[in-house]
Amino acid sequence: MSTRVDPNLSGELIAGINNNQQDVNVDLQQLSTGKAVNSLGDNPAAAAALVGNDAETAQVDQFQSNISSVQGLLQVGDSTMSSVVNLMTQAISLGVEGSNGTLSASDRQAVASQMTGILQQMVGLANTTYQGNYIFAGTETQTAPFAVDPTAADGVTYNGNTDVNSVQLSTGQTMAINVPGSQLFQNASGDVFGALNQMITALQSDSGFDAANTALENAFNAINAQRVFYGNGGAELDTVTSFLSQEKVELTSQQTNLIGADMGAVASNYSQAEVQQQALLAASGKIIGEATLFDYLPT
Amino acid sequence: MGTLNSALSIIVGSLDADQGAISVTTNNLANANTPGYDRQIVQFSENDPIQEGNLSFGTGVTLEQAQTVRSNVLQIQLNQETQASGQLDSFVSGMSQVETLFNETAGTGLQTPLSAFFSSLQQLSTNPSDSSLRVGVISAAQNLATAFNQSSSALTTQQSDLNQSVEQSVGEVNNFTTQVAQLNNQISGLTESGEDPSALIEQRDVVLQNLSSVIGISIIGGDNNNITVTTGNGSPLVVGNQSFALQTQTNTATGMQDVFSQGQDITSQISAGELGGQIQVRDQQIPSILNQLDTLASSIENSVNTQSQAGYDLNGNPGTNLFTTPPVGVAGAAATMGVAISNPSLVAASSDGTAGSNGNANALAAIANQAIVNGQTPSDYYSGTVFQIGNAVSNATAEQTAAQQVTQQLQNQIGALSGVSLNEEAANLTKFQQAYDASARVVTIISDLTNEAINLGQD
Repeated sequence: MSTRVDPNLSGELIAGINNNQQDVNVDLQQLSTGKAVNSLGDNPAAAAALVGNDAETAQVDQFQSNISSVQGLLQVGDSTMSSVVNLMTQAISLGVEGSNGTLSASDRQAVASQMTGILQQMVGLANTTYQGNYIFAGTETQTAPFAVDPTAADGVTYNGNTDVNSVQLSTGQTMAINVPGSQLFQNASGDVFGALNQMITALQSDSGFDAANTALENAFNAINAQRVFYGNGGAELDTVTSFLSQEKVELTSQQTNLIGADMGAVASNYSQAEVQQQALLAASGKIIGEATLFDYLPT
Repeated sequence: MGTLNSALSIIVGSLDADQGAISVTTNNLANANTPGYDRQIVQFSENDPIQEGNLSFGTGVTLEQAQTVRSNVLQIQLNQETQASGQLDSFVSGMSQVETLFNETAGTGLQTPLSAFFSSLQQLSTNPSDSSLRVGVISAAQNLATAFNQSSSALTTQQSDLNQSVEQSVGEVNNFTTQVAQLNNQISGLTESGEDPSALIEQRDVVLQNLSSVIGISIIGGDNNNITVTTGNGSPLVVGNQSFALQTQTNTATGMQDVFSQGQDITSQISAGELGGQIQVRDQQIPSILNQLDTLASSIENSVNTQSQAGYDLNGNPGTNLFTTPPVGVAGAAATMGVAISNPSLVAASSDGTAGSNGNANALAAIANQAIVNGQTPSDYYSGTVFQIGNAVSNATAEQTAAQQVTQQLQNQIGALSGVSLNEEAANLTKFQQAYDASARVVTIISDLTNEAINLGQD
């Protein structure tokens, strides 16, 4: 006697159809989301790695945002510095002109008041703000750092501090985003305000021109040296930006590797599963409606 | 000696037997689609012959019994597989809901608000006195707290939903065990009086099958086709005609319903059946995930608060807590997490007391990459939770698929053995009908012969 088979095929058929429908659904979901991992259970390790990837991606995005904020600040700093340098150049030529001994007292007085104008402009530049912050005040960004004060040694008081803010540009890399105003304008190797005041005094008293000219030269050199910070800062930001873009590309490709679907393979699986589903349904229809021996018994 | 009369009695017996066989076949056909029905096959037996001198005469056929074709071994295997499937089904369905709460593959979950919070601090570092950036920090902190609150409350809701399911499942168990006890009673009655209890045994199998899907059981056979049913760990459910109901009782510590048998708490011992799966998700998985959320929330709150206190606010005053203080012992930290300040100038971004200092904002942002939660960064710790949830679902789903296949296979085997085949029944019916026709025809022949015998000697 041959092996008896289960005469009731419907259970197995339905299980087969359900299984295949499940495959079709999975393929459809992958096709519509473009992801092979659509729930944590699909691939726990990939889902867990994705959390790390998301955290890193968010940080890189934020670093890029930090950079664009800092870029604005550094650009304002740089252009202010270039105005400062121009003013200093002007002051130096005025000083040379005023000290050549051929000028009348009234002419010297005129040069002195021009020089006073330069000093005022200089104080104005030193009190430059960006987004409501005094950029040369250290971290005392809410108060104007420089004020004309005849009692001060160089005629200008510094109300800021010497603190420096740093901003994170990438993992493990920070950059200072300001130079304290005292370091820029009242540097020990050349005090901008002191030199200007010294020249004004020389013009008014018609004496001490040499020392005043030297002081102006020194102040010019000092500010020129400090200015480099703003120029270099911009270049550093550009380097980091391209590094971050590269990192972003890597993170995105890592993410695709983790949870992305191989669309070609999925599409081909999908059409295969569809064909199979049609075949299963057709077979089921046939089997369920199939004749039994009863149909052939004489009536 | 074989007489015409004895031949006639043989034929009558044969007609009875064939009629009985046709009736068994008909019953098989009638029950072809009855769940749990096992086909019956007829057993004919040859009557004892009578001996006359050297001759032995057969005395016909008797329909001995209609034998039920069933395998207890397959039934027990199916019961066990049903228990496993029940457990996996309810486990997977419970965990799938947990899974959707933290579906990082679709961007839902805690990582987005967590990253956004630390990003807001980074952004603040670029302009620490800016009030809109300060507002940004407070709202990102609020979003993070809300995400923790919602995840925690969704988990708690799922837990109490499962708690209700546990109560319902216990009710089902009690309902089924009552039925088994009643059937036991009827079956042993029939068996004792020598009647065929197979129809009731089949009914009992169906009830046992249903019971298995709710709770893991062991079945021990007894006298008179009686069975004793216990839970997987041996607590009695049915003994003879008596059923022992399971009770539920609120656990004062957890607020959840514990399952009691005969005054004993058996909750943690129930591992199979839907009840087993429900209890595992309710008492193990969800509490473990809640604990991880609490640990994470509490670590973030504590670290951020400590760092905030180390800094200064916009007005140069010493920093105050950004988040509310988590409860001692972490439990409930995720549910109660909140932001302690609403005034944006109170965000402690400054490290030296000046409004423009960003040192403390940087220090706060750096917490994102510090090992503040059980030796891990917040993201790493959270990714461990995500892995745990995914792994639980993935393993159970794989086992579920396997169990479904085994169940299907067992059902096929049971069907192959006990299922009613229409073709087979048609063949049998024809066979019995033909035998009946033949016997009936023999009666006519004997009648003719008898007539001939009666008329013997007449011309």
